[in-house]
Amino acid sequence: MNAAHRKYRLRKTLIGASASMLAVGTLNGTVQAAEENKLGFVIESWYTAVYDTEYMEECPEGIVIGNDEIWLDGLSPEELEVQTGGGTLEVLDEPRRPNQYLRGPNGEDVCWHPESVIDPPMRTVHGKYSYGMNLDGNADGAATPKTCEHGNFVTPDGSIKGVDNQLYRLMGCVHGYRTEGYLEHHANRERQDESKGVILIDVKNVDDPRSDDEVEVSFHLSATRLDFDISGQIVPYGSYKTMPNRYGDTVKGQIAGGVLTTDPSDVTLPIYGNDGVTDMVFRDFRIEIEIAEDGTRAKGLWAGYHPVSSFWDHIQKVQHNAPVGQYSCPAMYVAAHELADGYPDPETGQCTALSSAFSFEAVAGFIIEDDGAGDMKRLAASNAEELE
Amino acid sequence: MIRASRLYKTLSRSRMLRALGKYIIVCTLGVVVAACGEPEPVISGSEPSIRRLTEQQYRNIIWDVFGSHVVISGRFDPILRQDGLVAVGASQATISASSFDKYEKLARIIAEQVVSEDNRSLYMPCRPHEVGRPDDACAQAFFEPVGRMLFRRPLTDSELDDSLTLARKAGEQLGDFYDGLALGLTSLLVNPNFLFVIDGVEQASSADTDAELTGYAKASRLSFFLWNTSPDESLLAAAEAGDLETKAGLKAQVDRMMQSRKLRDGVAALFTDMLHFEEFDHLEKDNLIYPALDPEAIEDAREQLVLTIQNHLLDENADYRDLFKTRKTFINGRLGRIYRTSVAEPELWTPYEFPERTGRAGIQAFTGFVALFSHPGRSSPTILGKGVRELLMCQRVPDPPGDIDFTLFNEPGSQQMTARERLAIHNSVASCAGCHRLTDEIGLSLENFDGAGQFRASDQGQVIDASGNLDGIAYEDQTGLAEALSQNPAIPSCLVQQTMAYGLGRSLSGSEKNWFDYLLTEFAEGEYKFKPLLQSIVTSANFFAIKSIPDDGEQSVQAHINPRSDKRSES
Repeated sequence: MNAAHRKYRLRKTLIGASASMLAVGTLNGTVQAAEENKLGFVIESWYTAVYDTEYMEECPEGIVIGNDEIWLDGLSPEELEVQTGGGTLEVLDEPRRPNQYLRGPNGEDVCWHPESVIDPPMRTVHGKYSYGMNLDGNADGAATPKTCEHGNFVTPDGSIKGVDNQLYRLMGCVHGYRTEGYLEHHANRERQDESKGVILIDVKNVDDPRSDDEVEVSFHLSATRLDFDISGQIVPYGSYKTMPNRYGDTVKGQIAGGVLTTDPSDVTLPIYGNDGVTDMVFRDFRIEIEIAEDGTRAKGLWAGYHPVSSFWDHIQKVQHNAPVGQYSCPAMYVAAHELADGYPDPETGQCTALSSAFSFEAVAGFIIEDDGAGDMKRLAASNAEELE
Repeated sequence: MIRASRLYKTLSRSRMLRALGKYIIVCTLGVVVAACGEPEPVISGSEPSIRRLTEQQYRNIIWDVFGSHVVISGRFDPILRQDGLVAVGASQATISASSFDKYEKLARIIAEQVVSEDNRSLYMPCRPHEVGRPDDACAQAFFEPVGRMLFRRPLTDSELDDSLTLARKAGEQLGDFYDGLALGLTSLLVNPNFLFVIDGVEQASSADTDAELTGYAKASRLSFFLWNTSPDESLLAAAEAGDLETKAGLKAQVDRMMQSRKLRDGVAALFTDMLHFEEFDHLEKDNLIYPALDPEAIEDAREQLVLTIQNHLLDENADYRDLFKTRKTFINGRLGRIYRTSVAEPELWTPYEFPERTGRAGIQAFTGFVALFSHPGRSSPTILGKGVRELLMCQRVPDPPGDIDFTLFNEPGSQQMTARERLAIHNSVASCAGCHRLTDEIGLSLENFDGAGQFRASDQGQVIDASGNLDGIAYEDQTGLAEALSQNPAIPSCLVQQTMAYGLGRSLSGSEKNWFDYLLTEFAEGEYKFKPLLQSIVTSANFFAIKSIPDDGEQSVQAHINPRSDKRSES
């Protein structure tokens, strides 16, 4: 923006400011006070918590076989000739990619109809370590009234035993979900670039930001544009409005030594990325966040039982990820149900949810719960500006 | 060659005596009791001036005449500040050859937008009989009102004829009425009568004086002072009707102008000039150190200052001195990041009051002011203190002497010192101490705000000591400085001085001290309300007073414009 444009913009914004004064009144009216007893964070990025090593010791069977490979294997020589341009189309690009999920017996999309074909079993994690939390309280993986028998992990630093993270067991050998993969980096980039699907954490009743045995924590979807500094990080202490009438689950929590934890509770979070928009439902959801000494940043985990139905709702909406991320929807669908370790179906005893953990980084911000009244102010300001 | 008005005789001493006589008679008879305080001193005025439009005035006029959707791209040569004000420097500003080219190019771009197919219906009072041929009647219907607004007076017959002839000939050659019209409009936009505000002078109608500004010149002086743009149609009509020559007529126009929302623009322009806000255009901060103060936030920081000043002085009609201890302002989302506070409507400007616990009071503690007078990556108590002294208190702080040995201050380890420790070294050198004593105490009291105006409790790990002493008043912290500033007599005095100079477009002369004293006293008696000060200035005969120049001293705008254009006209 050149200086002349800035001048022009200044004039426009001054007019806009006048308009906003018309809308909200002058300073003789009520004035906004700085918030106290609150902490707020905007999640800058989040990932499925995947512990991956250079030599893939956690994946002894190797990386997951991708949809592309399975699709290619299923083609007749004649089809192969056509679909690969006579063998010249080696990369996953047009026109191969769009056809790959349509490999059901009647051309079904196998991510929307994962039971329409039977693929080779999915390669899963068999390692010892994982990030995550001990959700069921035991360290042996034995079944409980809320869980099925399952394998447990230990955190890489050995500090926590009995870590429950079957989602990692399911996804940890999928190339797209590993460190060198693409899917979650791209999803974070989309959330940041478009300021969509951004999760806010609102902490209330905070007497001491480093130590408080009872706080209230809410999770919201942001309705505000993100601003980044030149290093690509969100600028701290922005104000973020919540999306009215969406999300907002509230749980009890505590802060000890600058670490915020919450009690288990059912929480729904927004998910946006890779062109997929849906909800993430969690049972026994909880977070553990370490807040930096200066309060500007925080990082940690959220964990909980993620119903397979909720997980699959997302997977099938981003079916185009299958060739990019290199996995098979039918194989993943089967494995997800097999690995589910929480919330058994009362009738069948089959567990319906995957223990899970997600790592995230967050930046301090001010959370403003929007009841929708602001829309009227903005409308009034806009009208006033037009009248100028 | 375009001449300014020829002037007559020097204002006679008898004029002042006659004014005093009237005052004595009126007060003795008790006719106008309210007006019988100290009589307003009569000043002799200055020679008529020729002032180049500032860039913002140029833009305001174009937007007023043609609408704000007209895009005005490009920059003009800056006007050098004189005695602290661009408004004063404008009377010395010229248009260089390269700058004239910019004006010409800009004029063409504006004219093309005005006559474009999309816009012509907005500005054209008529349609040509045939688009492919000239139409003098239609062109005249366009040039007369537009020229009147641009020249701030009706076009003379020859000026109108020139425009019509140019439009006609160009229209014929180009085969398009509107192309011809655009060329005619371009010629008006590069005409010195548009680019310069020229004091028109005429034979005085009153026996009190010999020469006076024309009604149109008075209208321009009023309008550029109060609105920072050219007179509107109502003001021009009042000038044409002679209403500005009567107290009642002048008062009616002033009252109207003071009620207008354009007054906000005028006040913004005055303080933008007085407080050097145009330097925000070039202000850059190290975004690794101050990520929150990005270019957009810098613009917002300037706007916050302007909005606060407008609100304080115009909406609340509050004591000017309280501007330096006010906690009331406006805020938006970007500034909320700097002030670390939530903003309910991040995209809008929202009224906001700094909580007392933040210690932030007065515009000198706002992020815009602090950032403007800091280094890109750190605060500068000296620069900040100098800014307060010079801009808010009109006190000149001398530049540092040329023989300073800076090795004293740049010794290893100095970067780990607090600002107070570093500046203590300066104060240990006699040649530095004199000036640093003036500036540093003020700046150090604002050290709780870093180079981006963000609060900080410590510097280099040490709790910041913000105590100080302003001209004999000791205080403990920044709020103490705010109180001391607001009580300092230099604060209102500086405002009155700069407002007068800004309005008159020239530095005040010694002979005008009496009027200055009068206005300052009135300002104090009126509890330092700014709007009455403006009204006092513009309703005073002194505001329009001029004195003659020698008969052989013709003023010419030709001296102000491109010599190359002179040659062109000769050829």
